[in-house]
Amino acid sequence: MKHVLIALLRVYRFAISPMYGQVCRYHPSCSAYALEAVQVHGSVRGSWLAVRRLGRCHPWAAGGLDPVPPRRRRSRSDSVTDTSETDLPQEIHA
Amino acid sequence: MLDFFGSIGSLIMTPLYYAVSGILILWHELFILLGLDAASGWSWALAIVFLTITIRTLLIPLFVKQIKSQRNMQILQPQIRELQKKYGHDRERMTQEQMKLWKETGTNPFASCLPLILQMPVFFALYRVLQQASVNGAEGARGFLSGEQAELLQEAVLGGARIADTFLNAGQTGGDALPTRILTMVLVVVMCVTQFITQRQLMAKNMPKEALEGPFAQQQKILLYVLPFAFAVGGVFFPLGVLIYWTTTNFWTMGQQFYVIRNNPVPGTPAFAAKQERDRKKGKLVEEKTPEPEARPTVQRNQQKKLTREQRRKLAAQERAGQDRPAKKPTGERRPNPNASKKKGPKKR
Repeated sequence: MKHVLIALLRVYRFAISPMYGQVCRYHPSCSAYALEAVQVHGSVRGSWLAVRRLGRCHPWAAGGLDPVPPRRRRSRSDSVTDTSETDLPQEIHA
Repeated sequence: MLDFFGSIGSLIMTPLYYAVSGILILWHELFILLGLDAASGWSWALAIVFLTITIRTLLIPLFVKQIKSQRNMQILQPQIRELQKKYGHDRERMTQEQMKLWKETGTNPFASCLPLILQMPVFFALYRVLQQASVNGAEGARGFLSGEQAELLQEAVLGGARIADTFLNAGQTGGDALPTRILTMVLVVVMCVTQFITQRQLMAKNMPKEALEGPFAQQQKILLYVLPFAFAVGGVFFPLGVLIYWTTTNFWTMGQQFYVIRNNPVPGTPAFAAKQERDRKKGKLVEEKTPEPEARPTVQRNQQKKLTREQRRKLAAQERAGQDRPAKKPTGERRPNPNASKKKGPKKR
């Protein structure tokens, strides 16, 4: 299941996403976020995170930096608000 | 397992079938009232065009909001330039810092994923409504579509081409195959051309040149030329009606983008320069330029903060001494950075 989702996301990111250029107000973009979330958290929690991120990506949101929360730490709330410098680099290159 | 996904799918799609077919039928009825034949391709084709227009109109508030959140882009330009000096070599870091700055100031040049997320299901629902009507006629009626209307849709002919048919299944459920094939291909070409123009105009005029670097941008450039072919191949699977929807929505996007490029260009792009030129001719630029000199001191201050007191003293001594500057450390450290980031731009293009 996880691999099916990853494959679908890869296809989307390769073929469909570039058609629209960058539209996402966040970094990483919603599809990159979804891909990473599924890879890191598995299909169920990853999809849930991705859906929540998509719900956040609207013109009334400020956007900005919004990395996938790391694996073991429970991080419901800080995935939305946390953009502090401390956990920037390692998560995005992960 | 497959059944489970099937039922989830229909749970999501059923309301969409109702929405899409409802809007479609409303417009169709309106065109009948205006004297078009209920069975003609024109009433259905126009209904599809106006379905597109309805949906894009409903999305205008999103567009307006997006434009509004772009307003401060110009004021932020000096800060962005400063970030480029600092992180110009590291695109990932640069993007992160830029995103942070935008978030802090409530500015964001991007449209968000919401319009896309809203349009994709509509597109898919229209595809299913038309395809089902084409293949199954009355039994394929979805949403508000009655069996009778589905049959009308199945038989609807626009200049000999059947609206519910695709290039591939043309002629299989009756009617002449050739006109459908010709018209679908014509629409695929129009679609490709509009898409290509929109995308290229965006890249040529409204993207800062830093955004045109890096592997992702490279991929996008390649796709700009590959996509038309992909469409031409993919287009054979779509009913004529879906192609009408797609083409219309492309024209709408193109129009919106013309508007943005003319009125709200991204700073640091050719479109922005063109707008400044126009404003200068009208004598309006005076107000708009004020934020820049105001913000400039911050650039200098920040740079000097990086020097230690000792370095600054050396620097001052050097300046007093005059022109003879045999490549001492402090100046050597300060100079290359801005130069390097400036050179990067044109070289990679």
